[in-house]
Formats: sequence, C-alpha cells, structure tokens
Amino acid sequence: MAGREAVKRAVQQVRPILSVDREEARKRALNLYKAWYRQIPYIVMDYDIPMTVEQCRDKLREEFVKNRHVSDIRVIDMLVIKGQMELKESVEIWKQKGHIMRYWKESQEPKPTDFLSKFIQGVN
Amino acid sequence: MIRAPLVKALGALSSPTHQIQIGSRAVRTTAVIAQQAPAKAPEKIEVFVDDIPVQVLPGTTVLQAAAQIGVEIPRFCYHERLAVAGNCRMCLVEVEKSPKPVAACAMPVMKGWRIKTNSDLTRKAREGVMEFLLMNHPLDCPICDQGGECDLQDQAMAFGSDRSRFTDINYTGKRAVEDKDIGPLVKTIMTRCIHCTRCVRFASEIAGVDDLGTTGRGNDMQIGTYVEKLFLTELSGNVIDLCPVGALTNKPYSFVARPWEIRKVSSIDVLDAVGSNIVVSTRTNEVLRILPRENEDVNEEWLADKSRFACDGLKRQRLVAPMVRMPNGELQAVEWEGALIAVAKALKKANGQVAGVSGQLADVESLVALKDLVNRLEGETLVTEQGFIKGAGSDVRANYLLNSTIAGLEEADAVLLVGTNPRYEAPLVNTRLRKAYVHNELQIASIGPKIDLSYQHENLGADASLIKDVCSGTHAFSKVLEGAKKPAIIIGADLLERPDGAAIHATILDYCQKLKKKDWNPFNVLQNNAAQVGALDVGYQAGVEAVIKAQPKVLFLLNADAGKLTREQLPKDCFIVYIGSHGDNGASIADAVLPGAAYTEKQAIYVNTEGRPQQTLTAVSPPGMAREDWKILRAISEVVSTPLPYDTLDELRSRLEDLGPHLTRLGELEPASLSEAGSQATISKSINGGPIDVKQKELRDYFMTDAVSRASPTMAKCISAVNKQQRQNEQAKQSVAI
Amino acid sequence: MLAKCATRTLANVYGGLRAIATSSVQRSDNLFVHRDTPEDNPNIPFEFTAENKKRVEAILSIYPEGHKRGAMIPLLDLAQRQYGWLPISAMHKVAEILDLPNMRVYEVATFYTMFMRKPTGKYHIQVCTTTPCWLRGSDEILETCKKQLGIGVGDTTKDKKFTISEVECLGACVNAPMVAVNDDYYEDLTAKDMQDILSDLKADKISPPGPRNGRFASEPAGNATSLTEEPKGPGFGLQAGL
Repeated sequence: MAGREAVKRAVQQVRPILSVDREEARKRALNLYKAWYRQIPYIVMDYDIPMTVEQCRDKLREEFVKNRHVSDIRVIDMLVIKGQMELKESVEIWKQKGHIMRYWKESQEPKPTDFLSKFIQGVN
Repeated sequence: MIRAPLVKALGALSSPTHQIQIGSRAVRTTAVIAQQAPAKAPEKIEVFVDDIPVQVLPGTTVLQAAAQIGVEIPRFCYHERLAVAGNCRMCLVEVEKSPKPVAACAMPVMKGWRIKTNSDLTRKAREGVMEFLLMNHPLDCPICDQGGECDLQDQAMAFGSDRSRFTDINYTGKRAVEDKDIGPLVKTIMTRCIHCTRCVRFASEIAGVDDLGTTGRGNDMQIGTYVEKLFLTELSGNVIDLCPVGALTNKPYSFVARPWEIRKVSSIDVLDAVGSNIVVSTRTNEVLRILPRENEDVNEEWLADKSRFACDGLKRQRLVAPMVRMPNGELQAVEWEGALIAVAKALKKANGQVAGVSGQLADVESLVALKDLVNRLEGETLVTEQGFIKGAGSDVRANYLLNSTIAGLEEADAVLLVGTNPRYEAPLVNTRLRKAYVHNELQIASIGPKIDLSYQHENLGADASLIKDVCSGTHAFSKVLEGAKKPAIIIGADLLERPDGAAIHATILDYCQKLKKKDWNPFNVLQNNAAQVGALDVGYQAGVEAVIKAQPKVLFLLNADAGKLTREQLPKDCFIVYIGSHGDNGASIADAVLPGAAYTEKQAIYVNTEGRPQQTLTAVSPPGMAREDWKILRAISEVVSTPLPYDTLDELRSRLEDLGPHLTRLGELEPASLSEAGSQATISKSINGGPIDVKQKELRDYFMTDAVSRASPTMAKCISAVNKQQRQNEQAKQSVAI
Repeated sequence: MLAKCATRTLANVYGGLRAIATSSVQRSDNLFVHRDTPEDNPNIPFEFTAENKKRVEAILSIYPEGHKRGAMIPLLDLAQRQYGWLPISAMHKVAEILDLPNMRVYEVATFYTMFMRKPTGKYHIQVCTTTPCWLRGSDEILETCKKQLGIGVGDTTKDKKFTISEVECLGACVNAPMVAVNDDYYEDLTAKDMQDILSDLKADKISPPGPRNGRFASEPAGNATSLTEEPKGPGFGLQAGL
C-alpha cells in the first residue's frame, strides 16, 4: 500500500495555474517583458519621473533577472500575474510617482539582528 | 476578621454623627472591648439578599452580606478600611418587615432578614438621597479633575433621577464653601464636598494626624482644618483616592488629563523598600501620575506621598545621551559607540582592577549583569552603596529581611524599633504598625532619638547599651517582648552601617532565637531602599569601604547616587563609569556617563524589604538615547569582547533563576527561616558606638531621599511648605515668649 | 413682551408639574473657619484661673478613665464663662487638658451655637425671634435693643459691653416675648421693659430676671381660668368596688 502511495505522489501532477509546460511559461514571461518594455516611455512621460528610458529599461531587466533562478512553472506564472498587475496599475495611473520611484529605492535598511547593533540603534 | 467585631462595637457605642470624632484613643478602648469578648467560633446565620440565601457571621453588616454574593450596594461614605460613619445614606436598602429603609453599611444583619437591594423602595430611597446630594453639588464636571472617575458621577448615572427638580438655582443659588489651602499636594474645591468624611477618618485612623475635621453644622458644615494649616503627612495623597467626588484632587495633576485618555500600566514603586504596587498613568510617552494598586500583602491600597508625587522627577534632570569627560574636565555628549569604546579602553587598561557599586534604584537584572561583567573582567569587588554588617552576615537571607513580613506585623503584639523611623523610611510599614496599635493592643518601644511615629510608643532612650539591656532580659521592655505572642524587633538598615553594627545585629539575632515562635520570626531589618535586598540576594557585599580598599582602576556606579563615595577616596587614574537615569551625585564624579532607564521605563525585578520579588513594567520608553541598564552592561561586555551570555530579558531571567530561584517567582514570598540564621560566634558582641540616631527624623527629611525625588519639583514644594509651616509655628512661639 | 417674559419666568419657576415649594436658605452668620485677628489668635495665652482649675478637676473626675473626652463641653463652657467668649487658645487649652487633637475640640466648638467664637460683650443680649415670641412682638424688642445700643445683630458695642444676637427658641414661649442676657431670662417684655433693662445694664446694675408683667413664673396672668376648685383627693372617680 505504502509503495503505491509513494508512486502516486511521485507522478502526481499539480494543477497548473496557467501554463502547462515550461515553454508556455517562458512565453508568458517574455510577453510581459515586452509589454513593460514598450510601456516604459509612456510611464516616464506620464509620471514625470527623473529617470531616462534607458535607466528604466535597465531596471526592468534587473527586476526580471532577479527571478532568473525560479524554475517552478507555477511560481513563474504567479510572478507573471503579479507583474501584469503592476503593469496595469502603472498604465492606468493608479499608481503615483512615488510608487514608481520605489523600484529604485533600496528596500529599508535591514533590521539589526545582533545585540550590539540593536542596542546602538535603540531597537528592542 | 479584626474589622467586623470592631465595627460592631463602634456601631453600638456611638451614633453615626459622632463617629467621625472618634480619635485613636476611643478606637483603642473599643478594640479592647471587642477583644475581650469570648473567642468561641460564632454560629453563622442565614439571611436572604434578593432572595438568595447567604450564610454570614453575626455582626456582619447588610452591605458586607450583599458583597458576599456579589451584590454591590452604592455607597459614598463607607470604606472597608475605615470606621463606619453611616452619614451619606446612599446605601439605604429595603429590609422586609422593616418600616423604613436601613443604612446597609452600619446595620448588622439579623437572622432570616430578607434584604431587597433592587426593590422600588430601595430605588426610590437612593434616588432621593442622590437628589439631595446633587442639590448642593456644583455642576462643574466639565472642569472637574475627578470627571470620568467620579463616584458621584457614576452613581448619579446609575441610581439618580433623570431630571432635576432643583428650582432654587433661580433664587439663592447653590451652597458654596471656600477652598482650603492644605498643602502643595492636595487641591481642594470644597464646594464639591458631599461630607462623606472619608478624608477625616483616614487622617485620624490611618495617618494618625488629626488635622482634618468637620466644622459647623447643618447646611454650614464643612470639612477642613478650621485654622489655616497644611495637611502635612507622608500619606496625604491617599485622601485624593478616597474622596468620592472632586473635592480633594491631585494638585500637580490638576487639569492635566482625563481618565479615558490615559494608558495604565501596573508596576512597582521603588522609592522606598516596601515595594508598593502602583498603576502608572501615561499619555504620549509621559508619566502623568501614579496611583496605588491593591495588594493586601504589601501596601493594602495606600501609597506614600513620595511614591505618588515624585513622578515628575522622572522628567527632570534626566540623562538623555551618553557623556564622556573630555581632557578639559567637562562632560560632553557623545554617540553610544564613542561612549562604549571609551569605557572599553579603560577596561582594557584596568587589568582586572574593576569594581562595581550599586545604588538605591538598581534592579536585580542590572545587578546580575554588572556582577557577571565585573567577574568576567576578573574583578571581585561588588558592593552596595548602603552599608550592612561586615563579614558573612549577608550570606544568610534571614539576616537582612523583614522576616515578620509587612502584613504579619499587623498581628504583632509587641514591637521594639531599634534605630529606625518607619514612619518616613517605610510609611506603609508604619501604617501596619499603627493598625496593630489601634486594633491589636500593640505595645511599641523605640531605641533611638525621640520621634513622632503617629502613635504612642515608649522611647527607651538613644543609648546603644540599651540594646544589650533589652537583649539580656534585664530591661523592663524585655518582659513585654518575652510575654508577647508575636513579638518583633525591627532594626533600621542605617544602624547596621555603624562599626558596631555587627555586634548589634548579633546581639539582637541571638535574642530573637529566644523569642521566636512557631511560624513567627521576630527578627526584622527594615531596609530603606528598594535595591538592597536584591543586591544582597545576588551576592553583593555591603558598604563602599571594600571599594576604597581595593582602589580599582575602573569603577562602575550602577544608580549609585547617595554620594557615599567621593573622587578623593579613589585613585587619581580611576575611570568611573556611571550608569543611571538622573544627573545626580554619581554622574557628577563620573568619567563616562551612560544614560539608563528609570523604573517606569523598564521591565525589571525589585525585591522589597520582606524579600518579595516584584517586577516593574515598561510604561513609557526611556528618554533620548537612554537604554535599559542591563543592556548597557551587556553592550559594554561585547565591546570588551567578553559578551555576557544573554541577549534578551528572558535569557537574563533564566540566569537570575540560576543565581536565586526565588528571584523570578514574582510576587511570592520565600520565607527565610531563622533557624538557619545563627549569629557568627566570631563576632565580638561589644556595642560601643555612640547614641543611636536615625536619618529621617522629621517630615522634611522624608521627601528627598533618592535621585528621582531629588529631581522632583513637587517634592521641593513639599519641603518648602513644611519649612514655611515650621517657621510660622516658631514665630508664633517667639511672640508668645515676648 | 412683558407678559411673555413673565410666563417664561413662571415656567422656569415651576418647571412643570413636579415643582416643589422653596423658601430662601437661612445661613448662619458665623464663620466656620478660624481667621487670626488681634483679639483671637493662638498666640494669646489662655489659662484657667486657680479657682477654675479646681472646677476642671471636679468636672474631669465625673468621667471614667478612657472617656475623659466627655468633659469637653463642660470645659469649653467653663472657659467661655471665664473669658467671656471662647478664643482659639482656650480651645487649645481644653484639647491639652483632655489630651485630644485640637481639631476634635474645634469640631465641638463650632457645632454648638452657644459657644461664642468671636469677641462678645460683657452682656450678651439674646433676643428670641422664633414664632411664639415673634407673634408676641419680638420684632419690637429687637428694634429697641438695636436703637438703644446703636448696633446691629451680631455686633458688639465699642465699649465691649453689649452684643446682640438673634436666637432661636430658648424654651420660654409661655412668657413670650423674651430675651436672655447671659444666663438670665427676661420675660413678658414690652419695649419699655427692654429699655429699662438695658439702661440698668449700662450702669452695670442687673435688673431682676423673670417675667415683667407681674407674673411669678408661667402661671396664667390674672387668676386661674380652669382647675379652680380644690383638687379631689385620692380615690376620686374610682369604681365603688375598688
């Protein structure tokens, strides 16, 4: 019985989100990239951000490359969906200038973890 | 059950209107009568409160019987710790077959009574009383400091009428009474007074200062001092809590905040060694006021004035940034890194010649952290600023505790005070003694200067040889002690600082071996600061002499502000590190000042004089760059690369548990048995010092005893008020002499 | 307009149906706190005279040990009789004798209206103005006193000889109107009688106290109108069988 269970689990197919195979996922990612790439000049213009189109495209590439290691199709799909949402928000000007500029802001300084830095910063 | 028979006796002896005039003496005589009654266990009687049967002892009042099943009867004048006055009439309830409503607070129940606390008659009676009270009460709730925590407001809401029939406002207006000036702590708005006389009874029964009373009669009756006089006692703040309306309010807190705006944090008071339980009221990270919290074992529901009013000292004279002494001799504010490095450099150079001195306000956690740090740096000298007997005396816990316990002293029947003034060193211990004096025929004698303890006691004299006389059984008072069921000897902590302190300690300890009873330990040391017991518990030595002898290169002062150690007594190149909350004596001689947290700003354990560990909780965050004391020590340890093995409070607490398992059993008392505590045979028992003295003799000595109270403007006002009153009295005496 | 105003006031007064009748509040003209004055302050020494000290002993001996505070009112009265009124130092003295806090004595001294806590003349004219005396003309008596002494109620003449007070019933209604001068009752007065009494007192001559209309005490003026026959002896009206 146990053997059958194990086999069943090993060959079990997870239900896909959108893409059925890797190729399809790649296509979706590329499509998203292209959509962003084409939208960037308008974003720069609409939001009047102090960035050039080139800088924005570099950032776009950077954001995609950041997730290069992801291989799970379902995760890729989810990331693509999130990217589309972001794009939609940018296109419809649901975002504000600050939201766009946040791509360039390094995330908040990492919270100190060792005692001494916590002590000096006065965090508990 | 001491109170119940007393109440009964009082009720039988005097009519309600004259109750308030009963002074200490009268209460005393009635207590005798109550005691002499045969002590056989009385049979319980059954009464019905709202048709619920309840079994009570005879002599229980209607109000107490109702309270037993959780029925609260409204009241203004009744207070369970004060004598029954029965003058507000708010507690009227209907009793079946009684022709008129009875005052529940003063009426003992009879067998089979059916009490109706919510009948039409009861409700109507309450409504009528409330109408009369409100007739002469101003409608100034919007500008009244009691608003929101006012008994009259609440009960008018719950039991009063929904409309007013008061038309007199169109003719003569409401009654008005002039305000009294009774000191810098209590503000009076006497028009609001409803004559419950709780304050009068408190002053007379608990505080033992008969300055308040009722003058006049009828509509002209007023509460006051009659002559222009300040109500100066170390317990005056409690009348604010007792006042059910806004007639007596907190002067420093007046017009500051409303009760619904403030955040309340339960904490512990550390300005004396009693460890009173308090509630710290804060708003926007600021301590606004301190109220007592009920703890039957420690402070009942009272609070001493210093503990209550010195909280404005937490905002002044604070150290908000680390400081390092520059080559030009001035302290300059620096960043934490700079300060820690400066300390670390000095420690590296010290080569193990490191010592630590802890002061009055040090908590157990930082004491342990300092001990661990100094030990890791190969230092040995760890002392408390407050002295104690030399040698191994502090190894045995019973040697330095108030072994009879604070609540236990209430049952004592003979007490000898040696070189202590509990009235100012520990006001809430003194209220226990007074309570025992009033209700329990306690006989008290003192060795030391003549002082006013708020109750009668026999002053045996100030000669130190008297201790020997009493302890050898030749003195007249020895007979009293030996004949007593629960005798107690209380030694002042300051007395044991003397060179012959050890001899005094040993002599009394040996005598106490003789006096001790089963479950009763007569040997008591009354500590006068909150840190001492904790420090001795975790293994500190007492007295700064050891530091002077050790001549350390680096000296840590942990909240040590008493000024017992001066720069001259230490080597020239000694680097003094002060850790504490206030810029006081300690900070002024330090080379590096590291700002710590005060007791309202940290979660920390303090052990009170009876050995009860209790913890404060963080009510506000420390000001500026101040940090919790133990964290400062932990940080220093890391900079000198011997990090202490705890990063969080929990880890530190488990280290505490290793040192003393009792220290983390918060609120619980670990009895230290006297049998293990024998006096050391090696100590010479010759008591040869001069006459016995106490430091706090008068009220003015009481207000400023530590860094917090020295920084408090309210305490300064108290002292000037006491001085002013004294000057007036002296002038009066002089003019009589002329 | 006026009518409207009046209606509104009336509405205010009665406040609907639940209005209760009110009368103006009578307040005492005494002050129930102490103010230091040149005549009355704690620095003025007070001591019982040697004769009164004996009385103090006698009074104290009545009360059992532990209940000596019962002697407070007699002692205060003694002090008042000695001094003419009750200064604060006398209260302190009484407190000292009884070993009580001063406040407990203040409470008693302020409670009773017959303790005079402010300087009072040698002759304290207490005019009763309660209903029976008032009906019998006490207003006129009071007016006479005021006019003849030239002072108002509660005042003392400059020579410290007279003080007038308006008092409530002194229990001599049957001889109304009446006036008490210190401990003496002068009863059945007319304005003329009052003038005589006062002019006598001015000359430090004390007129004989008692009714002024020829009565001996409170018997009927003139002859008795009832119970005129001889009293019946014992056994009157009993059943024959008894």
